[in-house]
Order: sequence, then C-alpha cells, then structure tokens
Amino acid sequence: MKNVVLLSVAVAVLVFSGCSSKEPTVDGSAQAPVVSGESSKSSMASESSEGRIAGIEKKLSTIYFDFDKFNIRPDQQSNLSSDASVIKTEASDLTIKLEGNCDEWGSDEYNFALGLKRATTVKDALIASGADASKVTMVSYGESNAVCTEKTKDCWAKNRRVDFKVLP
Amino acid sequence: MKIFFIWLFLISMSFAGDATIEVIKKVDTLPSLAVEDATVKYDNAIKMLFFKSLVADLNVISIFNVDGHYRNVDFSASNVVVENKDMKYVLRYRIFEDDSAAFNVEIKLLKDNSEVLSKSYKANKNEFYMFISHAIAFDINEYMGEPSVEWMKRKVVFSKNTTPKKTEIVISDYTLTYQHTIVSGGFNIFPKWANKEQTSLYYTSLDSKPTLKQLDIKTGQTKAIISSDGMMICSDVSVDSKKILVTMAPNGQPDVYLYNVDSKKSTKVTNYSGIDVGGQFLDDNTVVFVSNRLGYPNIFSQKIDTGVVEQMIFYGKSNAACSVNGEYIVYKARESSDAFGNNTFNLHLISTKTDFIRRLTATGVNEFPRFSKDGDAILFIKNYMSQSSIGIIRLNHDKNYLFPLKQGKIQSMDW
Repeated sequence: MKNVVLLSVAVAVLVFSGCSSKEPTVDGSAQAPVVSGESSKSSMASESSEGRIAGIEKKLSTIYFDFDKFNIRPDQQSNLSSDASVIKTEASDLTIKLEGNCDEWGSDEYNFALGLKRATTVKDALIASGADASKVTMVSYGESNAVCTEKTKDCWAKNRRVDFKVLP
Repeated sequence: MKIFFIWLFLISMSFAGDATIEVIKKVDTLPSLAVEDATVKYDNAIKMLFFKSLVADLNVISIFNVDGHYRNVDFSASNVVVENKDMKYVLRYRIFEDDSAAFNVEIKLLKDNSEVLSKSYKANKNEFYMFISHAIAFDINEYMGEPSVEWMKRKVVFSKNTTPKKTEIVISDYTLTYQHTIVSGGFNIFPKWANKEQTSLYYTSLDSKPTLKQLDIKTGQTKAIISSDGMMICSDVSVDSKKILVTMAPNGQPDVYLYNVDSKKSTKVTNYSGIDVGGQFLDDNTVVFVSNRLGYPNIFSQKIDTGVVEQMIFYGKSNAACSVNGEYIVYKARESSDAFGNNTFNLHLISTKTDFIRRLTATGVNEFPRFSKDGDAILFIKNYMSQSSIGIIRLNHDKNYLFPLKQGKIQSMDW
C-alpha cells in the first residue's frame, strides 16, 4: 500500500512565517525635516535634555552583587548612598530604570528573578533614602545583558549588577 | 522458594515502565538496519545531507543497530546489495523531482529481503528535506510497533542571544538542521508554543516594559497580552490552551500567576516574599514551581484552590528549573559550587510515586528540560566547552543525542 504523505501543511506554516519577522523599530522623528525656528528650538531643547540625562547617568555607579545573592554588599553601600543622593537632587523629576543583571550561571527564570530581586533591593534602598517610589521602575535582563563575556571569576562578577538608566 | 520467585516477578512488574529505572539495552541485541540510496539523478549535496539526516533519525528512534555506510542500488532490485545481505532490515529510498520541482521521496522497507512497508513523501522545496527524513523515521517506528515518537515531527522554538540585549527567535526542527528566524531586531526571550498545533507562540518582549506577546505564525500578527514591571514570562500553557502560567512581578516581587486567555484575567497563585517562578501544570488544580522559600532554589507544588504547598524534591541544594509530565518531574540540579568545573548542572528525573531518582546527564551545564507531550523524550539545552546545543534524552532507551547550534547561545526553548 502506498500512502502519499504531504508535508505541505507543516512546511507552509514555516514558509508563511517568513512574513512575520518583527519590523525593525523606525524612528520617524529622525526623518522629519526641521523647517521652523520653533522646531530648531525644540530640537535644541531635546539635545539639552539628552545631555542632562547622560550627565546624570555618568554620576550613577553600578551596584555589584555576590554570587547567587541579592543583598547589598558592605563595599557597595557608599556607591548606593551616592546614587541615592544624585537621584533625589539632580534627577527628582526624571524616571530611574533599574536593570538587574546576572552572570551566565543558568539561563532559566530563576536567574531572571535573581536579577529582579537585585533591582528590588536597590529600589528599596533608594526609597529608604527618600527617593520617590513612583519614579523608579525595574526590569531584569537575566544573563542576556553581559558586559563581560570571558569565562573568568572577575568577568562574571562584573555581570552580577544593577545598572541605572535615566528616562525623561 | 516459590514465594520468592513470585515476589521477584511482582517487583519486576512494578518497575516495568518506570522511567526512573535505567534501561540497559545492548546494541547487539537490536535488529540491524542498513540504508540504501536508489536515487537516479538529484543534487549530490542534498542527496548526502538527506542520507545523513535519515541515518541520524533512525539512530534517534533507538530501535535499530543502524549501519551508517552509504550504498547505491537500483530501486527495483530484487536483492539488497551484497554488503547488506546479513542485515535484518534494509531501508531503500529514492529522491526525485516532479514537474513542480517538489522534493519527492519514495521508500521501501525490506525485512529479510522482502518488502514490508512502502510509502511516498513530498515537500514543496528540497530545503525541507529533514522534515521528510523525520517523517520516515516516525513511520518506521510506527510500523515496528514502538511507542510513538510524535515529538520527532514537532517544531522547536528557541531564542538565542546575538549581542547584549539583542536576541532572535528561531523555529527549527528538533535537530536544529532547519532554522527559520521568526522574530529579530529586538530583545525577545522565553518563546513558548501557545497551542499544541504550534501555530502560535508567546514570547516576552523586553524592548520596553516587560510584555508578553502572542505571535500567530500563519498571519504574522503580533498582539500584546499582558505587561508587568520587572518580569513577565510565560512558563506553561494548559493542554486546552485556555490557561497559561506566567511569572509576573507587578511590585518587584516575582510570583506565579494563572492567566485566563479568554477572560484576560490573572490570578496570583504563589505568595512568598522571595522568589517563586517557573510554574508548570501538574494537573488542573496543581502547579509545580521553583521557589527559594527554604533558602535555596527547589521544586514545590501548590494546590490552586487551597494554596497548600508541598516540597517535591528532597535532594540537592540548588534545583532551579523543572518540567512535569504525569508523575514524572525532570529537574535541573547544581552539582558543584565550582562554576568553572566541567560538571556544574545536571538533569535528574524523579517519580512522584516512587521517589526514585535517575541522573540523566553527566557533564557540562544542562538546563531547560522540557518533556515531550507524550513523556517519551526530554529536550534540553546543553552548554559545554563554549558550545550551545539542544539535547534529546530517550528515557526508555537510555540514550542521549546532541545537536549543536553553530552560532550564538540558546537563551531558552520550547517544543
């Protein structure tokens, strides 16, 4: 007995899926010509705002953590105090995004949760220092945002961290 | 003495079919099978790729002692080639192109030189040759009366890191031979099939606030499902696709939530101030998840209605991921605190009924275990010597197979 097995259904799904790639993000504003003085002013104001944000981010120190831990290390307390001070004074009108990160030891949800708990610890410390809780957001990138990719203890230590991003 | 033998028989019967018992099958007890190519005219490169794929698939079904020698023969020849005369089985095939340039394959399975099975297969392009190869192995396995290897025909979806904060979501066959990038240009992780038909998938977008998105791979339409500050991951999908378990952290506190796809309402399942993640449906009213409530990550279960929590694993001091199928839980256990050793994370299988444990892997970083729907196989990610691979464990055959990824590191996967 001969059966003709058509794989076209499965294959068609794969072929059609070619249409579904996510469109790359296009910054429409970059294509708009600046034709009036007002636009130039707002453009300058925007650049000024970006410059201010970049300046504040430079003053904020990354907080590092021990392996598999999310408590603040004693040697990181001074950096955290300094960060809290900058956020309360210079960035009180801005939103602070805390990005929790992990080393490459595991890529599962638990690792992402560990990164988030690190961010939460930093957020709690900032609030305890007087920062506005409504101006602090958090995200965990797990092991997917490594700043160092070598397989060494020093390198992994650099990846167990919370970064500060300042948003308008 | 008679009673002793009866007890021995009863004990052996009670272990029959228990996946935590290692199956030691000597290769020479398996029937031999050789593969003969009867293709008259076809692209040589594709011919050889197809032959290798077929031999690999026939090895993976683990019911033959497969001879890997490449041999040519006429499709209608009455006898197998002389080198194969002692083979119990011979699989003869021919590839040919039809008027629509489709990839056609015709096979016949010979047992003791007599034809016992014949079939024809067709794919619209020869780049899909591996799906034909998987289908042939599936059908031969069925013919032999072995437990189904339906998982062989399923598609794998995985995300891989390309650069920091940049990933691609890729659909592939189980051997990673066919790969099609379906989402690129962003930071998208933890893909999960949204239904058993594999026509739709969930994934987490981290380009802004963590958001669970659903992609219909037939239409290419993407829609946002639910967002959460901090974390938003789909961990499991119910059999009927109507409920999903997600890890959310609306207040920075990661917990397992049950999300109803129709009503779009979420219910908090776990409630602990530490880490609760990775929910998996054990049954309609029980969720298995990972928690650090004892001070280290371990596997627990919780009744959805009563909230009663039960520790599921009593071995190991760091069990950070699991997959559930019926009475079986496969979990990832940390073997060593030496992060730079060659044996750091291994997979173990436990039966919730017997508490027997079987170690499934031996070297490297083995994680992300995923049971096949029928529980016959476990797919997992292995990272070893700077190479990322997808592995398959055939539980009832005590065999592991690895399929390396050429570029990038696999972040997560589902099948």
